[in-house]
Amino acid sequence: MNFWNKIDTLDRRWVYLLVAISVILPFILPVKLPVYITPETQQLYDAVESLPDSSIVMLTFDYYPSTIAETEPMSRVALHHLFRKNIRIVTVTTVPLGGPSMAEQVTREMAEQYGKVYGVDFVNLGYKANYVAVLKGMGSSIEAIYPTDNLSTPLSELPLMNEVKNYDDIDFIYVVADNGIVDYWISIVNALYGTPVGCGVTAVMAPKFYAFVSAGQMTGLLGGMKGAAEYELLLGQPARATTGMDAQSLMHLLIIGLVLMGNIGYFAGRRQKGKKA
Amino acid sequence: MSGMEIFVLWLEAFITLAIFSFLYKDNPVYHMVESVFAGLSAGYYIGLYWKSIILQQLWEPMTRADNPKWWLFIPGIFGLMMFTRLWPKYSWISRIALAFVMGSTAGVFLITQLHGLVLPQMQKTMLPLVNSKGLEASFLAVIVVIGVISTLIYFYFSKEHKGFLGVTAKVGIWFIMISFGAHFGYTVMGRVSLLIGRVQFLIEDWIGSF
Repeated sequence: MNFWNKIDTLDRRWVYLLVAISVILPFILPVKLPVYITPETQQLYDAVESLPDSSIVMLTFDYYPSTIAETEPMSRVALHHLFRKNIRIVTVTTVPLGGPSMAEQVTREMAEQYGKVYGVDFVNLGYKANYVAVLKGMGSSIEAIYPTDNLSTPLSELPLMNEVKNYDDIDFIYVVADNGIVDYWISIVNALYGTPVGCGVTAVMAPKFYAFVSAGQMTGLLGGMKGAAEYELLLGQPARATTGMDAQSLMHLLIIGLVLMGNIGYFAGRRQKGKKA
Repeated sequence: MSGMEIFVLWLEAFITLAIFSFLYKDNPVYHMVESVFAGLSAGYYIGLYWKSIILQQLWEPMTRADNPKWWLFIPGIFGLMMFTRLWPKYSWISRIALAFVMGSTAGVFLITQLHGLVLPQMQKTMLPLVNSKGLEASFLAVIVVIGVISTLIYFYFSKEHKGFLGVTAKVGIWFIMISFGAHFGYTVMGRVSLLIGRVQFLIEDWIGSF
């Protein structure tokens, strides 16, 4: 049995071991490979940067805990940027499992860093079921959809919400999502109400939305952990996404190597069988 | 770090490692953690839907003293009608509620999909092939137009793909394959990111806390 035959019948657990080494090694011996800024990330950054002081942004936490490796760094960079620019934030989520609590935890943690006050500088509206009705309903009245915030405080008792009645009072919508809800932020909110929408989505979803960016329906796009890392660099605050980029690059090299080896092994085996026949 | 925080950190690390243990071999610890996750999710959803739908969106607005929305009893009854599916003899009643859901959903989606997705995307495909932004923009516009037309022709099944139609459909396949490749590459990147996230937690948060 030659080398290529062995590769063809290799126990998959050796591949898992190689994957584990490729992911763990860069955390022990960081290489700090360069990360380049894509035009879509730059566009989203510029859109937020151009918002005037005290603008109001709706930030969504439309993701499940299973994707926080990609999405939470996006929420953090968004909050950094918005709080740093003194922009007021209304957070919502259309995802029941984890969304409301993650919004609460991450937003309050970041607000504390910037000395922001709940109810004045930011509000967490939490979760409401039936996202299509929620997205459409907020176009008429946010209070009709969310009579109270995530902690059951009536919106009339929150000074920020006295200024925010519907999408007309929101300057920008910053969607961070891991599911098909992004389509509805575009097709309902952007298309019907004209509010600009910028998105951070998981890498699996990203290719679909490039068409929306080039069509002008979406103002900028962050694709997966790489997108979050780019935004961290633009902010000058490298964090978890940036440190994960070494492992990401090494893993991609390993996968390319494995795909090449697998194909060479397959064709070598086929050639050998042909010779025997 | 408080005692509770340390406990949660160790529990999280144990659950992560228990799930990863499946990569070596199927084992009872993996199955236990999997079952705990399924049970917790089911319990969480029941509690959440009870609070956010039955109580907050139906019962409280219907029964409040100030401006009660009494008409909410109609969707409430529609909701109850769905449960008739449990009794085959009366399951036809649930179709009335389903018809309402399907009709209203179709109406909403028809407008939003057409107005929000189909028309704007079509409009942005109608590009000037000679672009004032320069040679690169013109080249990209030509690629977009060829890609859209050839892919649409690939999905045109009313005439056999022969001659000019066949060649164009083949070009369409190439565009589709390139698109699949991009999607697959991004999917791999996404899955790798999730693994990195867990490893980052184990190394930086869990081991880092020792």
